[in-house]
Amino acid sequence: MAIIEEVKNPVLEVHSLTVVYNKQPAIWNVDFTLPKGQIIGIMGPNGSGKSTLLKAIMGVVDANIGYVKVFDQEIEEVRRKVSYVPQRQSVDWDFPAQVKDVVAMGRFATRGILSRLNAEDKEIVQESLKKVGMEAFANRQIAQLSGGQQQRVFIARALAQRAELYLMDEPFAGVDASTEESIIELLNEMRNHGKTLIVVHHDLYTASDYFDWVVLLNTRLVASGPVAKVFTPEILAEAYGSRLTTLSKVADLLAERRFPMRHK
Amino acid sequence: MNLPFKELLEFFTFSEPNVQVVFWGVLVLSSVSALVGCFTYLRKRSLIGDVIAHSVLPGIALAFLLSREKDPFQLLIGAGITGWLSVYLVDFITHHSKIKNDTAIALILSVFFGAGVLLLTHIQHTGLASQSGLDSFIFGKAAAMRPQEVKLFLIIGIIVTIATIVFLRGFYVMAFDEDFAIAIGFPVPWLRVILSIITVLIVASGVQAVGVVLMSALLITPAAAARFWTNKLKFLIWIAVCFGAVSGVLGAAISYSYNGMPTGPWIVIVLSLLAFFSALFAPQKGIYARWSHNRFNSRKILCENILKRFFHLEQHHPEKRDYSLVEILSKLNLKEAELKSGLRLLVRNDKLTRTGMNWTLEEVGRTEAREIVRKHRLWELYLSKYLNIKEDHVHDDAEGIEHVITPEILKELEVLLKHPETDPHNREIPY
Ligand SMILES: Nc1ncnc2c1ncn2[C@@H]1O[C@H](COP(=O)(O)OP(=O)(O)OP(=O)(O)O)[C@@H](O)[C@H]1O
Ligand SMILES: [Mg+2]
Repeated sequence: MAIIEEVKNPVLEVHSLTVVYNKQPAIWNVDFTLPKGQIIGIMGPNGSGKSTLLKAIMGVVDANIGYVKVFDQEIEEVRRKVSYVPQRQSVDWDFPAQVKDVVAMGRFATRGILSRLNAEDKEIVQESLKKVGMEAFANRQIAQLSGGQQQRVFIARALAQRAELYLMDEPFAGVDASTEESIIELLNEMRNHGKTLIVVHHDLYTASDYFDWVVLLNTRLVASGPVAKVFTPEILAEAYGSRLTTLSKVADLLAERRFPMRHK
Repeated sequence: MNLPFKELLEFFTFSEPNVQVVFWGVLVLSSVSALVGCFTYLRKRSLIGDVIAHSVLPGIALAFLLSREKDPFQLLIGAGITGWLSVYLVDFITHHSKIKNDTAIALILSVFFGAGVLLLTHIQHTGLASQSGLDSFIFGKAAAMRPQEVKLFLIIGIIVTIATIVFLRGFYVMAFDEDFAIAIGFPVPWLRVILSIITVLIVASGVQAVGVVLMSALLITPAAAARFWTNKLKFLIWIAVCFGAVSGVLGAAISYSYNGMPTGPWIVIVLSLLAFFSALFAPQKGIYARWSHNRFNSRKILCENILKRFFHLEQHHPEKRDYSLVEILSKLNLKEAELKSGLRLLVRNDKLTRTGMNWTLEEVGRTEAREIVRKHRLWELYLSKYLNIKEDHVHDDAEGIEHVITPEILKELEVLLKHPETDPHNREIPY
């Protein structure tokens, strides 16, 4: 029996969300609500649409059908309260910038595209670097960072935004055990300060320790609820087992025959 | 071929009124192209400059056919329209079909350029060609620039520069991480459009100096060459602009001096030389810097090994202080020539003195030699204690590592191991 728990006063509401790339749906009619002040895991096999979901929430990709509400508003209205950490591999790190330049990009969220950063911003940048243990690397060229260090720089950039809701795409990918531990400690501390964290994660074994709530995705929504309720063998098998054959057949047909998902 | 000194002098002293016009025109075009090119380069859209440059040709030809005169403003409008259309079409094809970006670029570029060449041929056949000189758009002819054109380029240069400075932060974040730029609410679609517009504007103007075939070099090469010299955006921009300006002016000067020589190829030759020079001699990233860094390392290893040999010689033969080449060489895995060059270096640095065919260790050298042996033996101890490596396996590792250990790490090792007396082979550690 599928578990999809709805919450009152959700921090995030995803309503019938469908995103289609080249006529092939990456997420299909996904519909859930998430509670405030928790660490929430988004899990599912490769290509199940986790990154796409985060991008659709942030408006980085457009929803073909459905909508998203953050703090009960359109994302455009509340961008300052929402921070997004893309997958580390999505950028080219051989770029002329120092670590502190990248973290300072987090402050642009508040300052906008034109006005200068002030002393307070610089302090926040330093502080954010310190929280991820990278203060010694402030002047390092980003091309010279290891994978785990790149990840921490991305998290520091998000911290510098001073947001309420954080969406992180695989912050644990390619980091060593002790870094992972310090990141999860940081996330816990943020949660204790009332922040909400939505984290894409791959490791089923650590998931029940890390998360209060889990969303299981496999192109469609498989489950959404408190981790203890969601992590049953049947539900996991459903999420990680083969794709629903009929659904995937229809999806392939849509792509093959170039049918629209819905006609207007 | 004799160097045309008289003409070069004429160019740089502005003695002809026309020269001044050409000078300013080329200077503005080449430096502003380099400025815009920094972002094209950082966004990895290097080929888009090529597309625009080739696609302005039919626009120029059409504008001429319609107006029947070579009014720079009208030509620019024609160039701008087809240039813009080409960018739009490349994006459209990439997003709405299975055709990949590079294929779309090749497709649009050749179609537009082909159309441009056809139109130019047609114009030539109509007999208007004699005064039009439109064919100079292919390879560029800066010397033919007129004051009214230069005025237009100045205005465009100023507009483009201001736009770039105003949106610098936007372009920067967008170039590094476009998704993040959207996520923090930067108007990314608008930024893309603005960047396209200023690229089209500067390319459509620049083709007058460099020609459509080589214009994209003026856009991209300065930034690519500047990247060798710096890791900071601000410097990248300044260096690229300087490279652009220098090559533009030199190219125009050469083209002016050899009457009738096209400008574009000369600008590109100067630019390529600058890029080549950068690749060779830039600090850190240049080939020479890497080579000399390696040479520094291998010299350090050589000298330290020789000093260490002296330490052992003094221990085993305490009765004498100077040693011959054969004695020094006996346990070193070195060729005689290598040893000699190492000895010369050490004598030059006052770590050794030479008397006849013998060498003596000086006090400075002795301190250093003891330090190297200390590093070696401490490292052996560290390996066997902390990495559980057997005593008979630690030596080879220490042979390499002893040259890398910095004074700070040495101190750390001493503290960590509590200033031990002996190494795993029970040899004394010299302090
Ligand atoms: N830009 C794109 N264009 C076309 N298809 C895409 C694009 N991005 C993703 N897809 C497709 O959409 C589907 C979902 O991709 P998405 O990146 O959201 O998965 P994911 O769950 O994040 O996977 P992973 O665990 O590998 O990161 C995949 O089948 C992928 O091939
Ligand atoms: Mg992903």
